[in-house]
Amino acid sequence: MKSLFWKIFVSFWLALILFASLTLLATSHYLESIRHEESRAQPRNNTLQYIRQANLLAQEGEIKKLRNWLMQLDKREAIPYLLLDKKGQDLLNRSVPLYLQQRARRMEYKFLDDEHDDDNEHRSRRSHHLPIIINGQRYRLLPDFRSITLHRVLNRPRAFVMPILLATLISAIICLLLARYLTAPIARLRQATQKLAKGDLTQRVLPSMGKRKDEIVELANDFDYMAEQLQTLIESHKQLLRDASHELRSPLARLQVALGLARQRGGDSTTKELDRIEREAERLNDLIGQLLTLARFETNTKKIEYNTVDLTALLEQVVDDAMFEARATSREVKIIQSMPVIIKGNNVLLNSAFENVVRNAIRYTAEGTTVEISLKDDHETSGWIVIKVRDYGPGIPEKMLETIFEPFVRVGEARDRQSGGYGLGLAIAKRAVSLHGGKMLAANEEDGLSIFIYLPMNELPEESQGVSLRA
Amino acid sequence: MHRILLADDDVELADMLVDYLSQEGFEVDTAHDGQTALQKALAHHYELIILDVMMPELNGFDVLRQLRTQSQVPVLMLTARGEDVDSIVGLEIGADDYLAKPCNPRVLVAHMRAILRRSEPVTTNASAATDTLTIGDIELQRGARRLLLNHQAITMTSTEYCVLEVLLEEAGRVVSKQDLSARALGRELNLYDRSLDMHVSNLRKKLGPLADGEERIKTIRGVGYQYSYQNNFAKSEA
Repeated sequence: MKSLFWKIFVSFWLALILFASLTLLATSHYLESIRHEESRAQPRNNTLQYIRQANLLAQEGEIKKLRNWLMQLDKREAIPYLLLDKKGQDLLNRSVPLYLQQRARRMEYKFLDDEHDDDNEHRSRRSHHLPIIINGQRYRLLPDFRSITLHRVLNRPRAFVMPILLATLISAIICLLLARYLTAPIARLRQATQKLAKGDLTQRVLPSMGKRKDEIVELANDFDYMAEQLQTLIESHKQLLRDASHELRSPLARLQVALGLARQRGGDSTTKELDRIEREAERLNDLIGQLLTLARFETNTKKIEYNTVDLTALLEQVVDDAMFEARATSREVKIIQSMPVIIKGNNVLLNSAFENVVRNAIRYTAEGTTVEISLKDDHETSGWIVIKVRDYGPGIPEKMLETIFEPFVRVGEARDRQSGGYGLGLAIAKRAVSLHGGKMLAANEEDGLSIFIYLPMNELPEESQGVSLRA
Repeated sequence: MHRILLADDDVELADMLVDYLSQEGFEVDTAHDGQTALQKALAHHYELIILDVMMPELNGFDVLRQLRTQSQVPVLMLTARGEDVDSIVGLEIGADDYLAKPCNPRVLVAHMRAILRRSEPVTTNASAATDTLTIGDIELQRGARRLLLNHQAITMTSTEYCVLEVLLEEAGRVVSKQDLSARALGRELNLYDRSLDMHVSNLRKKLGPLADGEERIKTIRGVGYQYSYQNNFAKSEA
């Protein structure tokens, strides 16, 4: 019974058997009880009640009403009730079985006998033999047990609805439990897959499977294996990047000192080349710095400390610093809208995020323009704030709006190199923001680009605990 | 000739730096691991120590931490590029300045000169030895480069001393970060440079708040710093 195949097979099979036997049992019980009543020659409580109702109608003296009532009764009851006159004719002209005609006749005789009997007790005991008298005519209400057909029963659900309902309910519960049992681990797998796709490589499903041992658990096992392989792969990839960057620094440091020595020894003839070497060494240096920042954000996420951060002040500080850089190339940076915001976060990470976005905007905005920054409530999601950094540059192609946040994605080769971009700034920013549970978006304006940083206030997401695939 | 100690585990780099720095007029001693660096730093009198963070056995932070228990010799930390936190940690422990490695040797020399300038005792005139600046509970003895808080001497690095000196001279007025960097650190304020903030933060920790609980050194957002100066304090220069 451990494989999923047998679980499905056996439980469906059992449910079907149970349903069928319950139905059979209910039907036979019903028929049995009817037969029992007939053989006792004792009227059902219902019959007495109907006779009383008929008598009340009869007292009003309208045969039409009685006929209507009888028709209603026939529609309700699975057992046909016949109202017979002393000749054995039904009031509704239905055909009357011979045994009922005989019984009616017998009752008529008895009634006539009893007319002379003053024993009240005797009379009341046989009250179902009492006739219904209307306009001087005597009628008797008799149930025709033998004419019960399946067709009649099915047309009058009152009789069998309870057992069927019960069977339906029980089988529904069984099927529900079964369906849950089968789909719950699949839903769990799906959830884990989605999280994995979003970059949380720490997802494992086997521990949540309990003591099951079936195909789904095997799948879960394989999933965990895959996730583990993926995690190892990504982490070794990141480690490689990190190690390589670390290792690149030593020769670069030596190169820079060697360059300094070459300059000291002088000789004007090589100054131009030495300048060039120095510039390239600086670029390499910047790139390594960025690579290491990114690598650090991605690997050491568990060490990050979260404190209260005055976001407003932090943004002002970044803008203050960026102003120097902007003015050097006749551009401006300005906070055009702000509000007091304090969130739980990491100062260094957030600083790095803002700095990279703002510097990026300064790099691309046209000469003589101002990079505009605003900090306000996010109108679409309550409890979130949004920081918008808008430049007046060339914007980017629509299809790049999403990839722009990935490492080493460049919009235009030539211009980027000229402006000193390495396509890492936004990746660093996005990683820092996502560690705070936030997200980043880019949107083209008519004459520039806007980068939006969305941050949730006051809560730390679980994502911040995981190691993420995406930057 | 300034006598300095260079502690870096990259032997080739250290050798080249020794060449370079000698040309710039420094007398350079080297150490290639933290333990040796600490021993040499305590045994000899150096005017400046250049300390790489990443060293085997005892890393730069550990060396600095142990060194600071006995000596206030100026220290320039070489931190790993891409590890911004390192610079903050270094300054917190008591480094006078930091540079991200790899760095341009010209920049290194500029930083070294700035540190050496501010650690030089004032010997311009004879009265310097008695030149003191008293503000409230603080007494700055310029000649001896000593600081007394409620008549108790406070140990601090020469950089911290310089920062505080400028703030005290301008007590009650706001000193911009650019100005403070130029006057106290002897160099232009760098972009995204947190060293001033860290020195001020160290000073706050060492000095504590004013007697009435007010912050001693106020941050004026977007401008700079201000040493709280109240009218009931007698400011006197003798």
